[in-house]
Amino acid sequence: MAVNAQAVSSEASATRPRREREQELLVWPDLVFVEFIAAMVFTFMFVLLSTMLDAPLLNQANLDITPNPSKAAWYLVALQELLLHMHPALGGVIAPTIGLAIIGAFPYIDRSNDGQGTWFGTPNAVKIILFSGAFASIFTVALILYDQGRHVNVITNVVQRSDKDWQWPGKLAPFQNVRSIQTGWEWSIPVPVSAQLGPGEHDGELNWPDDFTHVPMPFNGTSGPDWMRWGPPTFLPAWMQAMYWYDLNMNTPAFVVELFIPVAIMVILPVIMILMMRKLGWIHTMRDGSIGIFTGMMAVYFILTIIGAGFRGAGQDLVMPWDVPHID
Amino acid sequence: MAVSEQPPGPGLTNWLSEKLFHNYIWRSIFRSGYPSTPRNQMLVVATNVFLHLHPTRLHKTHVRITHTYCLGGITFFFFLSLTVTGVMLMFYYVPAADRAFQDVAALETNIRFGMLMRNLHRWMAHGMVISVFLHMMRVFYTGSYKPPREFNWLVGVILLTLTLALSFTGYLLPWDQLSIWAVTVGMNMAGTVPVMGQQQQLLLLGGFEVGDAALIRFYTLHVIGLPLIAAIFMAVHFWRIRRDGGLARPL
Ligand code: HEM
Repeated sequence: MAVNAQAVSSEASATRPRREREQELLVWPDLVFVEFIAAMVFTFMFVLLSTMLDAPLLNQANLDITPNPSKAAWYLVALQELLLHMHPALGGVIAPTIGLAIIGAFPYIDRSNDGQGTWFGTPNAVKIILFSGAFASIFTVALILYDQGRHVNVITNVVQRSDKDWQWPGKLAPFQNVRSIQTGWEWSIPVPVSAQLGPGEHDGELNWPDDFTHVPMPFNGTSGPDWMRWGPPTFLPAWMQAMYWYDLNMNTPAFVVELFIPVAIMVILPVIMILMMRKLGWIHTMRDGSIGIFTGMMAVYFILTIIGAGFRGAGQDLVMPWDVPHID
Repeated sequence: MAVSEQPPGPGLTNWLSEKLFHNYIWRSIFRSGYPSTPRNQMLVVATNVFLHLHPTRLHKTHVRITHTYCLGGITFFFFLSLTVTGVMLMFYYVPAADRAFQDVAALETNIRFGMLMRNLHRWMAHGMVISVFLHMMRVFYTGSYKPPREFNWLVGVILLTLTLALSFTGYLLPWDQLSIWAVTVGMNMAGTVPVMGQQQQLLLLGGFEVGDAALIRFYTLHVIGLPLIAAIFMAVHFWRIRRDGGLARPL
């Protein structure tokens, strides 16, 4: 027994660990040296940069003078860009928080060990990165251009050459930009007068957007049959009262424009992207899918930052970088 | 550890090194000479308070620059340098709405190397935000968040948030048009959160607009609150790297 045990242990320590050892280097000097060089290079680079380029200092802060445009710090400009296209709480807080949560969740979604510790470790990683990067960038740019509505001016100009009085037809308002669904789009469908309950005009027509701006929320206490009507819940503590939707009516057109469509786009596009790559036979594992989602998120963030920082001029209008005004 | 690996010989250099490095004061600080044997090199890493963040040896892929691009290390380097330059800036800066701007302006004109310190602090802050993003991307694309490193990835996400928060709070301190409006824009975003938004904004600003109360809160968070928390999380981050068996590599 003793002899056997020794044979086993000496074999183990003689072969496997030695192969491991041969792959290993000493931290001193190999790593410490690299770290030292990196620290030196960066110290030198930044001292040089700082002697050449001065940090900005504008006029003293004054809340009475609003610079136009006023922008957030560059790493938050992406969120500021989102604010232009959706409800501020969604673009500024909820979407980024969910984004961060998804980033944090990657190790718990993708628990496999494939591709661990090597760059682009799965067979299709590079293809997935290129595809999802391009997909996310193209759709982000396209959506921003759409919502800015520049194509409306271009098309109007072209058509007006032959037909002077041409205007973008109201029926096609949703194709101008997303806000036009709420403000520039009108249609109506006939309904029985008796079915019209809301506070709006009972004219036998359901009109968009007017008849949809005050849709009572369920259980808001002020709508529906008598047994569903009650007073404000004053017996609750104040913070709970603040959370209860008493007397709240939903502005459906605003809801569609500010929340529903943006959320739908942010959910559906990534799903389509992943499905396309599955069809292409590139995505086989959670790791592959995670690479696609992560790359897409990084690309969106990058594009939003570029556009927000470089292409947003006075009034947050989309302009060329050289037309962005200098603030002082 | 042995004091010296070589016996002192004749010649000027040896005489000099003898006088410089073998005197009582030097040896009270550095107990040993240059570690020139593998054994001593491992010992120096294991026993030195700063170096012992590292293992004594590591796999050779991890020394290759193209594996990590040193990005985590560079982020940490920025953090340390920002602490140094930030302390210097604190000597001259008073966080009061009627003084802050003048103090920063004076830093640029009246104080020797004041401008250099301010520039370094500013550019390195931008550098840290960029490098922390790149570090996250390198960790992701090398698949280094996989088991057993899940939690360290989470610690990293917290560090990313803290880095952004540090940068955001610092942005207000020069008290110029750029800073106050950038922070106003940012705080308005925070204020739109359903239910909690208003309270959150009130908590951070100490009022309804960016004023004196906000400045002192941002300052306190920027110079002590957030750096302290970030330092603690960095300690956990580095400790976990060691506990998880060093950097990730193929199984
Ligand atoms: C203040 C911010 C941070 C500092 C100072 C920092 C520092 C470091 C350092 C020095 C390393 C050693 C390897 C390397 O240099 O790449 C490392 C590894 C690691 N970092 Fe960070 N980091 C930070 C933020 C992050 C973030 C934002 C993430 C991810 C979301 C992250 C996740 C990781 C993981 C998982 C490892 C282990 C990598 C491996 O095993 O190869 N860290 N970090």
